[in-house]
Order: sequence, then structure tokens, then C-alpha cells
Amino acid sequence: MITRINVGPIHPGTHGVLRLLVDVDGDTIKKVEPHIGFLHRGVEKLVENRMYLQNPVYMEKLDYIAPLAFDELYVSAVEAAMGIPVKERAQYIRLIQLELQRIASHLLWLGTLANDVGQLFTIFMWAFSDRDKVLRLLEESAGTRMFYVNQRMGGLIRDQPPDFAEHAAPLLDYLDQRIAQFQEVLEKNPIFTERMKGVGVLNREDAIRFGVTGPTLRGSGVDYDTRSNQPYYVYKKLNFSPQTRGEGDAFARYKVRMLEMKESIKLVRNALKSMPEGDALGMQIRLINPVPKNRVVTVSRETPRGEGMMYMVADPQRPYRLSIRSPSFINLSVLNHIAKGHRFADLFAILASLDPVMADVDR
Amino acid sequence: MDEEYYSSERFLNAKKEMDKLVEESLKSREQKQNVFFTKLSDVTKAMSEGLINWSRMNSLWPLQFGLACCAMELMDFGTSRVDAERKGYLLFRGTPRQCDVMIVAGWVTKAVIPEIKRMYEQMPSPKYVIAYGECATCGGPWFESYNIIKGIDQVLPVDIFVAGCPPRPENLFGALMKLQEKIGGKVED
Repeated sequence: MITRINVGPIHPGTHGVLRLLVDVDGDTIKKVEPHIGFLHRGVEKLVENRMYLQNPVYMEKLDYIAPLAFDELYVSAVEAAMGIPVKERAQYIRLIQLELQRIASHLLWLGTLANDVGQLFTIFMWAFSDRDKVLRLLEESAGTRMFYVNQRMGGLIRDQPPDFAEHAAPLLDYLDQRIAQFQEVLEKNPIFTERMKGVGVLNREDAIRFGVTGPTLRGSGVDYDTRSNQPYYVYKKLNFSPQTRGEGDAFARYKVRMLEMKESIKLVRNALKSMPEGDALGMQIRLINPVPKNRVVTVSRETPRGEGMMYMVADPQRPYRLSIRSPSFINLSVLNHIAKGHRFADLFAILASLDPVMADVDR
Repeated sequence: MDEEYYSSERFLNAKKEMDKLVEESLKSREQKQNVFFTKLSDVTKAMSEGLINWSRMNSLWPLQFGLACCAMELMDFGTSRVDAERKGYLLFRGTPRQCDVMIVAGWVTKAVIPEIKRMYEQMPSPKYVIAYGECATCGGPWFESYNIIKGIDQVLPVDIFVAGCPPRPENLFGALMKLQEKIGGKVED
């Protein structure tokens, strides 16, 4: 007999305002039907009525766990449309900020994942205290704690403080140790591994067919990362290598994110070492030429959750149309496929391993 | 640095401070001396003024419920840096039936209003609402959007508004202290 269970929209396990209708036979999941739209606010329409410089505020709220990723993506789209080159020092600083943001985002994900699989609050507290340290460093570099709005066309609104590298180095060493500690606590713990290994398997063909990106795709053994496949900024110079795992289960996705954090630490270290001197400031507001060179542009970037993409039809002063490819939405679409046949309690481990942000899904 | 930070002396001092705080907060609830109650209802009334308010304000349990961006700062509020438990704001509860405070963190869409109302109705009385962040206070940057209501105060009675986009976790701590003041008089830091 099939029973229908309603989960959410306000539920501690759904990571935001997501409603799931789950058909279960006993304790086995037969079908998962996500209902979305509880955070819909019409960003794409609002953006059309505002000037280019007013829009980053809206873009940051798309992915509130890693706001800088979408801020930078939008500014890059405007740069591509206007034909504005980015200064070299600004490229390095942006890279450092993006990678620090990725670490902070993955740490938040790790804390909530551990909560969902029954490691109540120990890992959560550890991850959040570490995330707070990363956020403090970002605050030093970008100005505020959560919503930065520090990107300007061609650069940033201000340079890094001169002693930033000195402050960053001890924290990066600390994070290296800390990630090893996390891995030791989690991977040697049978409660964690039993609930993650072999759960929510997404094989290579299905991953490509559904169009998932980010750690979800790389956990299924596909070597695709926008940072290496369509390289931007100085990722190539800094020896970036994408992290992949072949198993395709929730544990592989966890492993990819842990490896990515290590890779990000390496990237930030390399960037701080080889950062050139010079000017990093973006254009002043009155100097920005609002007449676009390319009317239609498509820009894609690797956000912590996958490949974010923006398609923009540019008009003078304001975008005529801005379409956003949100990675969370597409990653969430795979939920029914991989949760089928598992126990009901595994649903939240699977959902957490996909790491969706609902504001990004609903737009 | 760590050894110094966690020294036993520090803990002893903290204990002394804690004892002092408790004593003072008990003193501040003016207890009348030499009172002779003639009715049982007078006794309960006196108790409800002092003891119940005191216990109520020192164990505010918030509901684990986040809508959007501000929920990230809400999660940070519960963790070790801000340490909300030292003032009695216990870790977030998963069910509204155990909660006193609802913190509305994030923009409120038309689709989510019925759910919020249902959660509020399930909470036992007395219950308090905090509008946390610009969006819950007045609509914030979405004031032109067709799907967002301009502030949760159009739906629920709000006790405290917290401004900021998003407010820092310390601000929420301040807001809850204000709420304590509202319930039972002055609160010491």
C-alpha cells in the first residue's frame, strides 16, 4: 500500500522552504515530488527596471550561502557586454575572494549535512566556528560580513588591505589541519559512512542526461569544471585541477567537496604568492560607458553549487533581458531519480548531498 | 593564548559573575516583605507577577525556521561564537509546540503566508514574534515585487523589529534582550 507523506514547506531537514510529497511503501520511497516556488520573487523582471550598477544587490540574494559567486557572475556578464577588460590584480583578488567564499559555503554545507545524518551538532558547531573565521577574513578583504557588493566593472570598489596576506596565511594553515580533522572524525565513524556510502547513486550517463553540474556531477566521475574547461581569470596559471570521484553516491559528493576545499586553500595560497602589484580599482560610476558593444552575451562561472550561467541581452543603461541558469534548480531535479528505492530516512542525506539553495531554485 | 583563556581562574570568575547576576536579577523583582495573603488567588497573582515572568523571560526558546538569507545568520546565532545559550535562548526547536519566540528571517512571499500563520497558531501562548532583517520588516529590496508582502507585520503581531541586510547575529542577541525587557523588566548585560 502506498502512503503519501508531506514534508515541509517549513521543515528543519529541507534546507529552506522546499515542500516534498513522498510516496512510500512501508519505509521505501517510491516517488518524490518536489514542490517549489515558495521563495519566488521575480528577480529577472525586477532587474529589467534597474540600471546596471543597481543590480548586484539582487544577484547576491540568489545564492545567499555564496553571495559573491553570483555577484561576480553578473558583473562579468556586464563586462562582457560592455567590452571592459579586468585589471590583472583585480583578477587575483576576485579569485581569492571567490575561493574563500567557496570554502565558507562548503563548511556550512558540511555542518548541516552532519546534522541531517545524525551527527547532531558537534560537526555543526565546528564547521560554523571555522566558517566564521573565513567570513572574518572575507570581511577584511571585501568589506562586509555577508552581502559584499564589492565588484565593479573592470575591478573592485577597493583594494585589499596591505597586511591581508599575513592574516590569511595562519588561517589557511589552520583550515588545512581542520579539514583533515573533519575527515578523520567523519570517515572513521560508521554512523556517517553507513548512511552515506551507496546512498543516492547517480551514474555517469544519468548525470550528463539530467544536466547536473558542480560537485554532484564530479562525484559521478565526469571531469567537468568550468574553472578548467572554460578557464577564466588566472585559474590556469595557478595550477588548478578539478576534483572527481567515480562512485556517484552521497559519499562521493561529500568527498569531492572536501577535496575542493583543499584545492581552494591551495589556490588562495598560490594567488597570494604570485599576486602582482598595481591597481585593482574598478571604473568609477560616471566613467562607465552604458552603450553595449555586444548586445547578447552568455557568461558561465563555477559557483560552489555548480555551473551558474547568465544570458543577457544588453540595452543602454539597463539589461533588456537577463536569464539565469541556476545550478541548484537543475541539481534538485535529479532528486526523484536517485531517491527511489531508498529508505525514507535517507531522503534527507540525499537532499543534503545535492546541496540546493532554495532562493536560487525559485528566483 | 588558549591556556590563559581556559584557565581555572577565569572559570571561577565566570561562576562568581553568574551567581551575582542571578542574585541581582532576583533582587530586582521587588519582593514585598511582610505580606499577608487572605485569598489563594492573591498568592497566585503575586507569583504570576514575579516568578513566572522571571522564568518566562530567562528561557525563551526560538523556533527553528528560516526563510531566506537571514536564516544563515540565524544559524550562526545558535553556534559557539555568539553562544545564545548563556542567556537562556536555547538551541532552536524543530516544532512550534515547544517554542516561545518566532524569528521571521527572510522575505515573505504570498505562498508562504498560510504556512507561517499555521506555525504561529500552533505555538503555545504567550508567544512573541521578531521580524529579523529588512525583508521581514518592510519588504526590503523586493518592495516592487509582485509576490512579496511588505513586512510580516501585515500578517502577525510583531514585538521587535531588527534592521539590517542581514543584521549581524549580535543584533539578534540584542533584540532578544529587548524582548526580555519587554516581558519582565530591565536585563543586565
